[in-house]
Amino acid sequence: MSRLPGLGIVKGMGLTLRRFFEPKATIRYPEVRVDVPPKFRGRLQLLYDEWGTLKCETCFQCAQACPIECIDMGGIDTKGRYHIHWGAPETYGERREESALRRSGRPVPDTAYAHFDPIHPEALEAILDRYDHDPKDMLAILEATQAEYGHLPVAALKLISQRTGAWYAMIYGTATYYRHLRFEPPADVATPLAAATATARAARETTFLAGLDASLAGSSGTTRAAPGAGPARA
Amino acid sequence: MTAAPPHGHAHQANPSDDPRVQLDEAAGVFEPVPPYPPRTERESEFYTLGDGEMFINMGPQHPSTHGVLRIVLKLDGEQVVDLDPVLGYLHRGVEKLCENADFHHTIAYLDPLEYISSLFCEWPGVLAFEKLLDVQVPRRAEYIRVLATELNRILSHSMFIGWMALDLGGLTPILYGLIERDEIAEMLASLTGQRLLYNYLRIGGVNGDLNHDFMSRLGDWMSRATTQIEANLGLLNENEIFVRRMRGLGTLDKETAFRMAVTGPNLRASGVPLDFRRAHPYSVFPELDFDIPTRDEGDCLARYLVRIDEIKQSLRIIDQCLHQMPDGPVMAKLPRLLRPRPGRAYAAVEGPRGQYAAYVISDGTDQPFRMRIHDPSFVHLQSVGVLMSGHLIADAMAVMASLDPIMGGVDK
Amino acid sequence: MTAVARSWGRLTLAGKIVFTIVPLLLLLGLGLLVVVLIAGKPIVDFLAANMWLVRFVVAATVVLLMSVPSAFLIIYMEMKVIALMNLRIGPDRVGPFGSLLSVVHGLKVLMKEDFSPTGADRVVFTLAPVVVYMSAVMTLLVIPFAPTVFGADMNIGLLYLFGVGGLTVVGLLMAGWSSFNKYSLIGGLRSAAQVVSYEIPLTLSVVGLLLLAGTMSLNQITINQSGWFWNWYVFQQPLGALIFFIAATAEANRTPFDLTEADSEIVAGFATEYSGMRFGFFFFAEYVNVFVVSGLIVALFFGGWNAPFTWPAEWTPHLAIDLGSMGLGLLFAILLVPPIAILALSAPFYVGRSSLPWWQALIIGFILFNLIVGAAVVGWAFISWDWVAGLIWFLLKSYLFVFTFVWMRGTLPRVRIDQLMGFAWKWLLPASLLNLFVTAAALVVVRIIKPA
Repeated sequence: MSRLPGLGIVKGMGLTLRRFFEPKATIRYPEVRVDVPPKFRGRLQLLYDEWGTLKCETCFQCAQACPIECIDMGGIDTKGRYHIHWGAPETYGERREESALRRSGRPVPDTAYAHFDPIHPEALEAILDRYDHDPKDMLAILEATQAEYGHLPVAALKLISQRTGAWYAMIYGTATYYRHLRFEPPADVATPLAAATATARAARETTFLAGLDASLAGSSGTTRAAPGAGPARA
Repeated sequence: MTAAPPHGHAHQANPSDDPRVQLDEAAGVFEPVPPYPPRTERESEFYTLGDGEMFINMGPQHPSTHGVLRIVLKLDGEQVVDLDPVLGYLHRGVEKLCENADFHHTIAYLDPLEYISSLFCEWPGVLAFEKLLDVQVPRRAEYIRVLATELNRILSHSMFIGWMALDLGGLTPILYGLIERDEIAEMLASLTGQRLLYNYLRIGGVNGDLNHDFMSRLGDWMSRATTQIEANLGLLNENEIFVRRMRGLGTLDKETAFRMAVTGPNLRASGVPLDFRRAHPYSVFPELDFDIPTRDEGDCLARYLVRIDEIKQSLRIIDQCLHQMPDGPVMAKLPRLLRPRPGRAYAAVEGPRGQYAAYVISDGTDQPFRMRIHDPSFVHLQSVGVLMSGHLIADAMAVMASLDPIMGGVDK
Repeated sequence: MTAVARSWGRLTLAGKIVFTIVPLLLLLGLGLLVVVLIAGKPIVDFLAANMWLVRFVVAATVVLLMSVPSAFLIIYMEMKVIALMNLRIGPDRVGPFGSLLSVVHGLKVLMKEDFSPTGADRVVFTLAPVVVYMSAVMTLLVIPFAPTVFGADMNIGLLYLFGVGGLTVVGLLMAGWSSFNKYSLIGGLRSAAQVVSYEIPLTLSVVGLLLLAGTMSLNQITINQSGWFWNWYVFQQPLGALIFFIAATAEANRTPFDLTEADSEIVAGFATEYSGMRFGFFFFAEYVNVFVVSGLIVALFFGGWNAPFTWPAEWTPHLAIDLGSMGLGLLFAILLVPPIAILALSAPFYVGRSSLPWWQALIIGFILFNLIVGAAVVGWAFISWDWVAGLIWFLLKSYLFVFTFVWMRGTLPRVRIDQLMGFAWKWLLPASLLNLFVTAAALVVVRIIKPA
């Protein structure tokens, strides 16, 4: 250093003395709390959708991914299929596999969906056209559907949900709220569509299962659970 | 005082019952020896004391070993004669954990390898998976990756400056570095959602586009970053005490550096302009204009100054990224469950400490069959034996700080 | 009651002893005072005949009592100043602006376990902090705080100071050796090497000043510097002052020469194995040392208790208020002035800010009144009594230097041990010798030119 010795030290002392009077960076935590950014992921919480319903599908992906197994869950999933009593982490694998398969877009051996009856949608389409696909008239649509089909088939509710954009659970909730709406055909009432529905159901079962086996034969690495042997079924 | 239990008393009288402790009766000194007979010639040579020498256990709990490194120093007075680094106090088995998680989850395990430069730990893994899967990453995602990682590089280097000064006894630079670091951490938190373990890079892109919060913070910071960092450096760069302690200390010449597989700023301080961003370009670095700062001295001061120059280059890169950033998606279209074809892939990136690399073997399932992580801190630690021997204890700490190892990465 | 019992249970043996003995001693002293006042004539006569005894006892008591609060003050100052320089806020929870945090630290230290490691030499281990603390406190005795306010005016004051101050190294060495820890040993040996090396330039840098002053009594040296500030020795001995400052930094083990407790190298040096009140003694001793060193610099080079300027005697207002002649007026003043003044001072706040409740306005008024009255009393004392003015100037200057030490700690990194020794022997020692020779030559030349 050709400069005056000690000049750097003096400069540093000057800097600290200047900083002595500058505004401070400390955040007095309990009184002042920093706004966490909107994307902050540090907090474990369940999200709600715009209807105030839990978005969690109990797919167990979070619990499976958690490296220290701090996530666990209980309750039932949104489809009402599994009732989980704070399941053991060892069983997450099976449930996760099933969930991942369902999300992958491939056909899944879903017992709840495999057996709902197919319907002839033309009549329903006509009803929906009449109500202009407006979810506000949901009760009227449902009543008209029941008048047409004799009851409310699951396939019809699915179709209504798809066409009107209303959430399936909301339609289901509306349908279960009113006493006069029903999901099973009454035993004594025979509608013109009932017979057609019965034959279509039998045909669909055979074709679906055959297609399922064919699609699953190609995938390796996972063992398909025997139908009906779902884990932790209450 | 009540009577001590006989066995306790006996133990106190004769601590050599403990196989780890040997009592030199004449000197009255406990010496650390390995709990097993020496396995190699080097070990038996090291654990034999010469005339007037003593062992001192530095770490695993010591203020300046950057985590839980333990160094057994053989001292002659205050001079380090020889040393034996003992690793493994932070071993988590990350590589094995990665082999039991599917490809998406692996990123979360790579993340906490180094808690100062998390994005650089994710990147080689993600790059290797993308090579395995033949994924084309959208260009916007590549630019965002470069932007975020260069921010992380500045974060890491500003912490390095603080630690360096702290190991030399300066109390203040660490806090100025922490202020810098906190601003960048908040910025990255608004981009990635986390302050420390970002878990931001995804196979085929990044998790989320740039948002307004991030951009306003970044613009605010960029407008004063240069002056702020320059001002903070005024405390050290010209300080005679600091410069006199660092200059000519722990000189690592080119050949030794190559022999010790040193990479990154530590290698560039020895005069080798090796930078993986230029030497083996990945991402969009061929399109960006930046220099590779090098120094010829190879001492601690050079290692410090190279890092400071790198901060400036990183600021340049960030500026270019912001100007050249194209529009478009930030994630490639990928299935949820990844099953790459059987094969192997290797990827390396240039991190703030050197070469971060990952080597992955896939057997066709949704989990890597074998995952090997290369961490620069671990590699650099093998040169401490060469660099520290013959110096004083204080210098040993300075050398240690100038190599900038993070124990999370060393022990994996 | 349970809280008291719980706190008592948490105290260590040392803490229990301290908490028992201090009130007992206070009671004893009070009793003694009462006895002297009541039974008094022969006792008072005896004490008046042997004034040195009274002076010694009072000085020792005062020094012991004030060393701890001044250490508290410096510790708080260090925490706060370094924090502010680091762009932090620092202590702000206990007491106003966190000023009681160091007191709480002191209490905490009392309550901690008094631990001594296996293999330590218990006796030496326990004695070491006492030696260090004692040597730090004993140096306070000869420092002239103000005219007539000093423990003893020795004619070898400076020599005594260096001698007793040098005892610190014995304590540190004892601590380092007895701890049965290699870090402590290295720390102790470092301190021995450092203090022994820096003792020489420290002493030599003052010799030039002694040639000028012709005395070793700190009191006399301070008196020599009275008058305007250009009479201070720093303007005649700038090099000596600089060397003394640097060497004194090393003597007090302060940054950048705090190698004995270099926390990033040898964990805490000699104090590694210490905890509880034994560590507290080290801690207090360090800060008392800082104060002593600052006071010494002020006394030797910066005019001691002298004001930097003199003003003519006719400018000084004469506040000779004869309280006895005021009669009934005094009673009224004492009774009426405070409430009226408080009301008057709180009125603007109550009127000006409608959101302020009346009682808060009253509190503000009360505080303001006390501040004004306190300032008035201090100002009156400053003008009327020489020793108050001297004390204020001395403390002001001393704490300026304490601030400088703290400021250096906040800025500078630590030097290496070989650089430290090289600096002492290669630079400071020749420089102080040069200072000595130049001063001596200048004195001779002056004497030849202008024979007395």
